[in-house]
Amino acid sequence: MTKAQAKKLITQAKREGRTTLSEYEAKLVLAAYKIPVTQEILVEKKKELPGAARTIGYPLVMKGCAAEIAHKTEKNLVRVDVRNKEEALQAFEEIKTAMGDAQGGVLVQQMVSGRRELVMGLTRDPQFGACVMFGLGGIFTEILKDISFRKAPLEERDALEMMGDIKGHKILGAVRGMPAADTKALAKMLIHIGQIGLDLEAVAEIDLNPVILSGAKPVAVDALIVLR
Amino acid sequence: MVQSSIATDFERIFHPDKIAIIGFSKEGIGFGSGILFSLRAIGYSGEIYLVNPKGGTFNGQPIYARIEDIPGGFDLAIIAVPAQAVAEALEACLKKGAAGAEIFSSGFKELGTPEGIALEQEVTRIAAKGLRVIGPNCFGIYCPKSGLTVLPGPDLSRRPGPIAFSSQSGGMAVDFANLGKSMGLGFSKVVSFGNGCDLRETELLRYFGADPQTGIITMYIEGIQDGDAFFAALKQTAARKPVIINKGGLSEAGSRAVQSHTASMGGSRRIWQSILRQANAVQVNDMHEMAQTAMAFALLPPKVYRNITVLGGGGALGVAAADAAEAYGIKIPPFEPELAARIDALLPRPGSSPGNPVDVANPFVAPKTLRQIMRLAAGDERIDLQIFTSLLHHYKNQAKIFGKPVKEITPYVELADDIQAVVAETGKPIAVILSNPKSAPDHLDVVEMFVDARRVFAERGIPVFNHLTEAFKALGHLNIYYERKHP
Repeated sequence: MTKAQAKKLITQAKREGRTTLSEYEAKLVLAAYKIPVTQEILVEKKKELPGAARTIGYPLVMKGCAAEIAHKTEKNLVRVDVRNKEEALQAFEEIKTAMGDAQGGVLVQQMVSGRRELVMGLTRDPQFGACVMFGLGGIFTEILKDISFRKAPLEERDALEMMGDIKGHKILGAVRGMPAADTKALAKMLIHIGQIGLDLEAVAEIDLNPVILSGAKPVAVDALIVLR
Repeated sequence: MVQSSIATDFERIFHPDKIAIIGFSKEGIGFGSGILFSLRAIGYSGEIYLVNPKGGTFNGQPIYARIEDIPGGFDLAIIAVPAQAVAEALEACLKKGAAGAEIFSSGFKELGTPEGIALEQEVTRIAAKGLRVIGPNCFGIYCPKSGLTVLPGPDLSRRPGPIAFSSQSGGMAVDFANLGKSMGLGFSKVVSFGNGCDLRETELLRYFGADPQTGIITMYIEGIQDGDAFFAALKQTAARKPVIINKGGLSEAGSRAVQSHTASMGGSRRIWQSILRQANAVQVNDMHEMAQTAMAFALLPPKVYRNITVLGGGGALGVAAADAAEAYGIKIPPFEPELAARIDALLPRPGSSPGNPVDVANPFVAPKTLRQIMRLAAGDERIDLQIFTSLLHHYKNQAKIFGKPVKEITPYVELADDIQAVVAETGKPIAVILSNPKSAPDHLDVVEMFVDARRVFAERGIPVFNHLTEAFKALGHLNIYYERKHP
């Protein structure tokens, strides 16, 4: 998807009166801005599932995917470590049932392994406009609130500094046999998130949580884009 | 709004040759008579015209019934008439060719009423025709060099210095100017702009950035008008001079209804903290921290202070000092044995310890000995700065024993001279901690002695802090600023 197409996608979603993009759509927009996201295929019909699963490769993550669904975990719409076709088919049935009437499909996703989870995002401050966030991800985001912000546009120096600003910044170093994070790649992600804030006025908020460090490389595993 | 001759305008506003006080009443103590008193008391030497519709004279000086009646022009108007009459007065000042007007009157936007808002918009509209407005609802400008002062500022210092202060709050402007006087800090300009309907934070920041009289900019901010313009001006200015900001009214959580974690965690506290860091501005939490930080920037050479010595006495020495310093990225490295032995030879016994920190234990060690110790300690080439923690209050008991005034028996002038000499010899600055635990009613002589000691140190360009942690905090701010200014 190109940046122009991403803009169209958002315009279309707004026309439909939606306030959020689905995870799948959000990642298309992010990918258009060169932000690394999980490989994934949106499966609407059961018969498409085996092919999609083969393309992505087991083990899989499968998620109910619709614009109106946030907090997928709490709604029992996520299956991780799906290892074969049988498990995939069963997960598909269960997720569809749990989704009820919600329009949408099942996202068949590459399972990214890595023990370090980060968060990135975008908010619009009433005084300073688009501001990019970086911090510890996953369940630590809300518990520790170990985060920092920078006003967009970000220079590389800003992006590198905001990573150093969090108390837990040592998680980005070489720890416990894990390689040091690719901070250049992380910096690029932060810069590009800021660029989305500047380019796409209709984007109100972004959450990439978690961004998992797969070895040294960051990948956005879940994404939320809120529209305004 | 961009004015074509901003520099000229500012010059006439901050250094006016002629001032018109509009709304001067001889009865009672109004703002008009208050500012006249303050200007006379501080020694403003320019022309002052008085205006009141009733006319008459005051102390032999004519009171003009109308602004138009003032012979010739004037540079600055000080307007203290009721809100409803401000616009008309301002128009008259504009016709007279005034460069600026301070409007003390309240009854504008701060009321939140449609009438108040409309009156303020009218003021802004007139200002745009070519006259800069400070206010309304403010205390005006304090400029020690020209003798211009704020309404409650008859007793402020006339000694100029490098610190500029922009304040939304009038009370804060006066308090900070007084605090500066108490600490021996000099100001270039202090501006209380109140509602800020014309001249306000961003433009003042740019002006102070370009002002050769200003070396350090301090700001008290409640709200800003244009975040993007402010950020751009801040980043640009902080690259040239330190900008120290106290932002009032910060909230932990975002106030709007939001869906993402990012937005819910982006309350004004976090965002301001991040924005100020991004621009390399120094954020402080209160007026005292602002003053101490400004003092450190004003008196210490521009560099990063990584390793320091702490010499003297008092409870905070030893482990406590090292811990406190580390929180601000400052180290108190132990001396090499050979140096420690040479220092040890100078120390009184028992109870002293020569390592770094150097605990002299006895509060009555002669300044001459302290001078030798400080000179030796500066010889450690790792050391960037020394801190001397004084124990002057102990001389109160000596004074009693010898039946002499504490001010006479305490050798603070000698100490200040010695410290100044060591700084000159070694090229390494020394900061002094003057901490006085004795301020009970029977210790007012000690309080007075400390006030004079502070003056004596300040006159010699020696930074004085009340507590060791305050010094570390100020140094921490300096270090972050200079480290990031020259990455």
